[in-house]
Amino acid sequence: MRMLDRVARKPWIWSWVAAFVVWFATIMVTGGASTLDLSQAALTFAAFSIIVGIGQMFVITLGPGNVDLSVPSTMTLAGTVALKLMDVDNAMILAGLGVAVLIGIGVGILNYALIKALRIPPIIATLSMSFIVQSAAIWTNRGLRIKPPNFLADFTIANTLGIPNVAIIALVISVIAWFLLERTIYGRWISAIGQSMPAAKMAGIPVDGTRFVTYVFCAVLASLAGYLLACFSGGAALNMGTEYLLMSIAVVVLGGTAVAGGDSNVPGIWGASLFMFLVVSMLNTYGLGAGIRLIMTGLIIISVIMLAGGRQPGVR
Amino acid sequence: MTIRKMLMASVAVACAAMPVSALADTSGKKIALSNNYAGNSWRQAMLTSWNKVTGEAVKAGVVAAADAFTTAENQATEQAAQIQNMILQGYDAIVLNAASPTALNGAVKEACDAGITVVSFDGIVTEPCAWRIAVNFKEMGRSQVEYLSKKLPQGGNLLEIRGLAGVFVDDEISAGIHEGVKQFSQFKIVGSVHGDWAQDVAQKAVAGILPSLPEIAGVVTQGGDGYGAAQAIAAAKRPMPVIVMGNREDELKWWKEQKEANGYETMSVSIAPGVSTLAFWVAQQILEGKEVKKDLVVPFLRIDQDNLEQNLANTQAGGVANVEYAQEDAIKVIEAAK
Repeated sequence: MRMLDRVARKPWIWSWVAAFVVWFATIMVTGGASTLDLSQAALTFAAFSIIVGIGQMFVITLGPGNVDLSVPSTMTLAGTVALKLMDVDNAMILAGLGVAVLIGIGVGILNYALIKALRIPPIIATLSMSFIVQSAAIWTNRGLRIKPPNFLADFTIANTLGIPNVAIIALVISVIAWFLLERTIYGRWISAIGQSMPAAKMAGIPVDGTRFVTYVFCAVLASLAGYLLACFSGGAALNMGTEYLLMSIAVVVLGGTAVAGGDSNVPGIWGASLFMFLVVSMLNTYGLGAGIRLIMTGLIIISVIMLAGGRQPGVR
Repeated sequence: MTIRKMLMASVAVACAAMPVSALADTSGKKIALSNNYAGNSWRQAMLTSWNKVTGEAVKAGVVAAADAFTTAENQATEQAAQIQNMILQGYDAIVLNAASPTALNGAVKEACDAGITVVSFDGIVTEPCAWRIAVNFKEMGRSQVEYLSKKLPQGGNLLEIRGLAGVFVDDEISAGIHEGVKQFSQFKIVGSVHGDWAQDVAQKAVAGILPSLPEIAGVVTQGGDGYGAAQAIAAAKRPMPVIVMGNREDELKWWKEQKEANGYETMSVSIAPGVSTLAFWVAQQILEGKEVKKDLVVPFLRIDQDNLEQNLANTQAGGVANVEYAQEDAIKVIEAAK
């Protein structure tokens, strides 16, 4: 009973409960026949939200006002440039990955340069950066879709032991992120800055360095997600990142990470990402119209946030 | 007698030539393109076609200028401001792909009052003083079901992939599809998802609904979503239904691969992005003084089993099957509407 009580107090539990309820309601439509297919599809598509969500979570943890709105355009640019460079050649896979990561690093550096050097609030800085990055994506390939190399296309679609490969990649990244947050001094610094920047400064924490690394980390994860998504869906498209702007923020908030910063958790990102995919599937499965579907999605998200947000002060 | 005949003949010739010689010269006229969005391959192809065709027209001295402007945010207010700037810059005609059918009416009216010809296409405006080059989207939806009824006379279950919720075009195509299903009652729509005209969104939505669906005979689409649907269905290891395609290169390429591997048959239908060039020539014709009806209809571009290879060969890798229009095509469309 004590244990149950302790679990119920975890901020991430509600997104998992919600995901499970929606998953159960969806498979019941077919009397359980769709269990395996639906679970695999959910893991596959949640993986992309998880990867960008983790990056966004690190940024949001930095405290009020910190958010990276350049995530979608970074995904698009990384996907576009990497696929153009690889040009369907299996030998270029690593080079393509390298370029995607370099783009992430570049966007991250520029983001923080705007924030720090020009003293622009992060929300404006990353938004304006996203226009530049999106234009760069349009300019590099004019919206033409180049196919990914065969090996990569097969790899991103395939399963290993029944688990989609992209979900395994997301799991590896999640474990690294969890380790960084919970077991390293860097993770402590992020939380400290998020709770109070002046206090963190006085405590001798390298605030600028930490924030800089965090923005770069977020952009690199976004470009990695863009690279994988472009390979998965058979080519980069100019609008492929669009839905990940709100998605990356929604999974962070739904997952129980404090919007005001200073408190984050990785498991919640998984629950929330699975939930976000499953809720659309469920409403589609029940055949509701687009209007009702959007209203329902909104209402469900609000109720989950209300439940998840109802934690007692002082309890973490 | 012969002289009289010759005289009469020359009068006849003069009469016939009259309308032509009475037309105004457009070589000094300036035309602007006001475009609300550039963030997908269709729009990029549309802009490329515009630059290519109008560039040649400017070089040939048909018009003085044909500049393209795109707004950054796909918003009606921003585009209204852009149109007002064009009025101040003294363009003679504005070719318009509008962010909203109604929200730009004020700005369009201002342009008309300033004596500017406004021709809207694809995203049309309802303001009566503007010309409209519209696509019969309903028929585009209905024809898909009609095709399926010939291909699968016994009927079956259909999955419908819609576009962006709340957009006029999405409602129209979907209404056409439902009309078709009413007409050919052997079909039943068992699932409907929004694919936002994007392969990756469609793939995600289809993968989500697929586990709960019975066997599907056909997939009706709106363009830009067929390949994503095929990917999702292949990943679920289901038998491949007849997926109606939307003229994107990746869709056509997939279709060709399937055709060669197992004789897969389908059709593909969409509007050619080159419709912007048709709008350009219509604007030029209006400036020349031609009488043109306010509502024109542009045919959609359909690809069938036998002309697939030819169309695929003409489509740029990663682009959209396209047709660029010439002045004669515009004249034909104008004549057809009379």
